[in-house]
Amino acid sequence: MNAQPFLRPFTAPAVLCTVGLVAAMAAVLQFSLRAYVPGSLEPGGFTLANFSDLLKPLYAKVFLDTVWICFLTAICTLFVGYPLAFALVRTQNAILKSILLVIVVTPLFLGEVVRTYSWIIVLGNNGFINSVLMNLGIVRQPIQFMFTTFGVVVALVHVTMPVMVVMLAAGLSHIDRDYQKAAESLGAGPVRTFLTITLPLSMPGVVAGVTTAFAWTFSAFATPQLIGGGKVNMISNLVYQLGFASFNFPFAASLCVAGLALTIVVLTVLRLAARPLDDLKAH
Amino acid sequence: MNNLADSRNGTASSGDDIAVRFDAVTKRFGDATALREVSLSVRSGEFMTLLGPSGCGKTTLLNLAAGFFSPDGGEIRIDGARVNDVPTYRREIGMMFQNYALFPHMSVAENIAYGLKVRHIAKKERDRRVEEVLALVRLAGMAGRKPRQLSGGQQQRVALARALVISPKVLLLDEPFSALDKNLRASMQVELREIQRKLKVTTIFVTHDQGEALSLSDRVAVMSDGRIRQLGTPEEIYRRPCDRFVASFVGDANVLRGRLDGFDGAHSTVAVGTARVKVPEAPLRGVALSTPVDLFVRPEQLKIAEICAPSAFGGRVAAQVYQGGHVDLYIECAQSASDRLLVRSAGQDAMTRWPVGAEVGMIIGIDDAVAFPVP
Repeated sequence: MNAQPFLRPFTAPAVLCTVGLVAAMAAVLQFSLRAYVPGSLEPGGFTLANFSDLLKPLYAKVFLDTVWICFLTAICTLFVGYPLAFALVRTQNAILKSILLVIVVTPLFLGEVVRTYSWIIVLGNNGFINSVLMNLGIVRQPIQFMFTTFGVVVALVHVTMPVMVVMLAAGLSHIDRDYQKAAESLGAGPVRTFLTITLPLSMPGVVAGVTTAFAWTFSAFATPQLIGGGKVNMISNLVYQLGFASFNFPFAASLCVAGLALTIVVLTVLRLAARPLDDLKAH
Repeated sequence: MNNLADSRNGTASSGDDIAVRFDAVTKRFGDATALREVSLSVRSGEFMTLLGPSGCGKTTLLNLAAGFFSPDGGEIRIDGARVNDVPTYRREIGMMFQNYALFPHMSVAENIAYGLKVRHIAKKERDRRVEEVLALVRLAGMAGRKPRQLSGGQQQRVALARALVISPKVLLLDEPFSALDKNLRASMQVELREIQRKLKVTTIFVTHDQGEALSLSDRVAVMSDGRIRQLGTPEEIYRRPCDRFVASFVGDANVLRGRLDGFDGAHSTVAVGTARVKVPEAPLRGVALSTPVDLFVRPEQLKIAEICAPSAFGGRVAAQVYQGGHVDLYIECAQSASDRLLVRSAGQDAMTRWPVGAEVGMIIGIDDAVAFPVP
């Protein structure tokens, strides 16, 4: 520490941020333990009632739905992102690499709301997909994509993909190409080499990607709000409704705390499940 | 281990068969030409070393044999069959990589069994052959370990076992010893050579270490600039280098300035000061008398004599270095092309007989040096 004289002044902003964050978290925690006084913005006395209310089927369902949507999104993003990441890392063609990079990265710069609106245009009853299908005579009635879990997941996959691809590409690029060459020299064709060597060795990247995608989706708000339209609710939508429609801040706060706890639990479980893969990381 | 040797004999029997043949092979990377019409025949069961500085094309030649890329011109044959368009995984080769490339997510046994599994060999037979090859590389009992639990030398043995267990038509080794420390390297070299002889497996070995090349090989191909400069036994390469590059790249060499003095049947005579040295005639064929030449002589071929000895040239001892098994004498000499000559004297008495400052004479025996015209 003494060897770095600049450390102290440079730590100051970090400390300031930390204090702010901790204070905010403490406030949320404090709110979650207070009673709701209808018609007042001021909370009442201390109580655990908010948390017992979470167990009501109405709210418990939103939790389960959220985990289910996060799970679906993470898995679908993995399947879409893996080939992209693989091509991005392995292609020798500089132009193709740039194109892939643009495809992967641009969604990051558009913002969630813009991307979600573009999906409304694609998925709506008069949207791109339904128009094409109806004009081709494949369907007579438009297929309902909007306000369904399917629609929400499709849009969330697009939102989450850049993160997934970046994590997977990092994992894939750390795999020494000599492993693949060794497998080929031993007689393994391209498919077997991929399945027995590249895929297992990329598992740390897969786990990191799925975990991050899961956490990333857990906090999604604009996408389920706009595409779900109140019919598909995730935790953040519920928090919004309770906080800004009913002004029930204590219950909204308890939802936040419970959501955070759930995220930590799920990520811990994923982390523990992936522990056998730690061996691979050193390589 | 008879089994491994037998299965080899099935495909190749007598020593004169050509296992791997490169025929006028050319390889370019963009504008750079890595190999220029290289032709080389590796005999069945032979230990062939590709020796050269980095960028000489030796690794490219090995990768072409492995099939990691294809040549821009010429033809590659393994066991007589053209393999230019045969992918690596159908070439029946065994390869050992510089960093061993052991699969980190598999145990030692799984690593070794990989090639057998790919070939759909039954589990029982697979286990037997893994055990057999583990005994061959003296790693019995290590089957369950993961590669990262092994030392560098042990990892190397696993890599060798994995390459050998499939009875490859040719074993390709890409600088396998470069990651090992000096003592381990020496013992691994001896072991590799023993195993290679026992199994009679055709081997192509790439190295930039000339000592390694000389001690291991049946034949050495010295390469530079994408060409083979000389092909021969280690002794031929060391004693009869065909050009200046080979003479200076392989082994230590002193360079003396001299003049071509005459021809005498199989020998040419080179005048170095007042001395006359007989050298092989071939490199000087067609060179006019009195042309300046450089005389390359190995440190151990330079013999110290009394200053008055006939056909000796003079110098003065500038430094002595005791090396244990021998003594290195550094001698200042008017005829030297570099600043000092290195003389390696096997006798322990050199320290006292030729003290620093002593005037000495040096003699070079017939054919103990080679001369090339000054470029």
